Amino acid sequence: MSSAFVYVLAASAVFGVGVYGLIVADHLMRKLLSLNVMGSAVFVLILTVGGATPAGPDPVAQALILTGIVIAVAATAFALALIVRMFQETGLTSLRGRDDDD
Amino acid sequence: MTIGVLVDLMLALALVGLSLRVVTGRALFRDIVLFILFGLVIALSWSRLGAPDLALAEAAIGAGLTGALMLMAYRRLVAGGAEDVAPRRRPPLLAVPVAVLTGALVALIGLAALGVERVPDAAGTIVLEELGASGLGNAVTAVLLVFRGLDTMLEMAVLLVALLGAWAVLGEVHPGRLHQVDRRTPLVGALLTTVAPVTLLIAVHLLLAGTDAPGGAFQAGAVLTGCGVLLVLTGTVRPRAAAGLATKLLVIAGLAAFVMIGASAVALGRAPMSLPGTWAVYLIETAMMLSIAVTMTLLFARARALEPERA
Amino acid sequence: MSPSASTLPGDWIGIALLLLGCAFYGAGTAGLLRFPDVYSRLHALTKADNQGLLLVCAGLAVLARSWRVAALLGVIWLLGLMAAAVSAHLIARHARHSGSRRTSSEERP
Repeated sequence: MSSAFVYVLAASAVFGVGVYGLIVADHLMRKLLSLNVMGSAVFVLILTVGGATPAGPDPVAQALILTGIVIAVAATAFALALIVRMFQETGLTSLRGRDDDD
Repeated sequence: MTIGVLVDLMLALALVGLSLRVVTGRALFRDIVLFILFGLVIALSWSRLGAPDLALAEAAIGAGLTGALMLMAYRRLVAGGAEDVAPRRRPPLLAVPVAVLTGALVALIGLAALGVERVPDAAGTIVLEELGASGLGNAVTAVLLVFRGLDTMLEMAVLLVALLGAWAVLGEVHPGRLHQVDRRTPLVGALLTTVAPVTLLIAVHLLLAGTDAPGGAFQAGAVLTGCGVLLVLTGTVRPRAAAGLATKLLVIAGLAAFVMIGASAVALGRAPMSLPGTWAVYLIETAMMLSIAVTMTLLFARARALEPERA
Repeated sequence: MSPSASTLPGDWIGIALLLLGCAFYGAGTAGLLRFPDVYSRLHALTKADNQGLLLVCAGLAVLARSWRVAALLGVIWLLGLMAAAVSAHLIARHARHSGSRRTSSEERP
């Protein structure tokens, strides 16, 4: 059993967990957390399947992930700004409406 | 099975367990803290996978910065009277099957990709062969700035757009609402006078080291943002009503440096986005570090600009 | 390279320090999980974990056999101490202001 194998399985499981959270979560911030969890899983997957060079993991994959991490935090920051503004306007923290009960 | 794989297994289990807790927990505050922990375990995984650049970035940006942004937004929601604990609802019937199938599909793709023989002329291999010509010792920095400069430039544009978007939905800013901890508390004052210069030093070190060793503009910018976050939290700086010229210049510095050097290459008859020398790498990285730090600090403070608190 | 082939006698000191550090971390974590109130948990966390950090840093410095690395680890330890002191202070202050009480020894189950 190799390290890459372990991380591919872990990334897949974490991605599945993230998808579950995205479906189930009510609170928008928890949906955002789930999305970030899914993103991290994808990053781990990219690096492990990117293959290894004599000088460590593929540098192009690493640069891609580094870019991805920064884009993810930028998108998260913008999403949080939207969530806070939405709460200020409507008093809601989820997409489920006020009278929209199950 | 070696000890290394055992460590990998432990990290993998921690990742799955933490992500489950983050996603299915009922108290948001605790789950944000667990998410930060998840980011730190990912950072450990990066170092296990031999990618120290990513470990640094993940610890500073993925765990630290994202966590700080989340906690700050959480605080704002709670201050406005939002509930922390979600009501227990029955999850949709298809949630578990969909999640399991998605995970299985990703595993299938991942395992299939693992089995593929690496092509001899893969981009990463060529990068390592051409590394000497770039004048840089760190292959990741070389990809970011020399070989795929356009991507990194557009990444700075994304960061700028995120800030502009946040400004657009900012609404009314309440000055003085950011005071979280009184900086006149003796210990906090001592922390500030020691840690602020140290973070500055670490940021500059990461920036300079980034050309040959793990580090670079992103990691340095994230560390510098940590300093900014500290200044915001201790009330050393406070929000201003509108962004001045200095703020605007700092926010676009990274993108502007890239555009100017990349475009001047065309004017001088070289390939677009080619850099005239190592000095250009340092120039662009410094500008990027400043832009990242200012942008992220403003996003954290939910402010258009910050000014020193007089008192 | 198998680890045993290059193990020098001095390395055992480093490994022992690392293990001892881990024991302190374990004790600190046990305290965090088992102690009854905020203040004693903080006590366990800051005191035991800082000692653990010192031992781990010392162990790594011995294993690294380099004054430069040892100095860097020293700086890491100092910064860790400062962060722990300030955050523990702030958490305890917040707990006191929001009315969290210390559990006296008679009340303990």
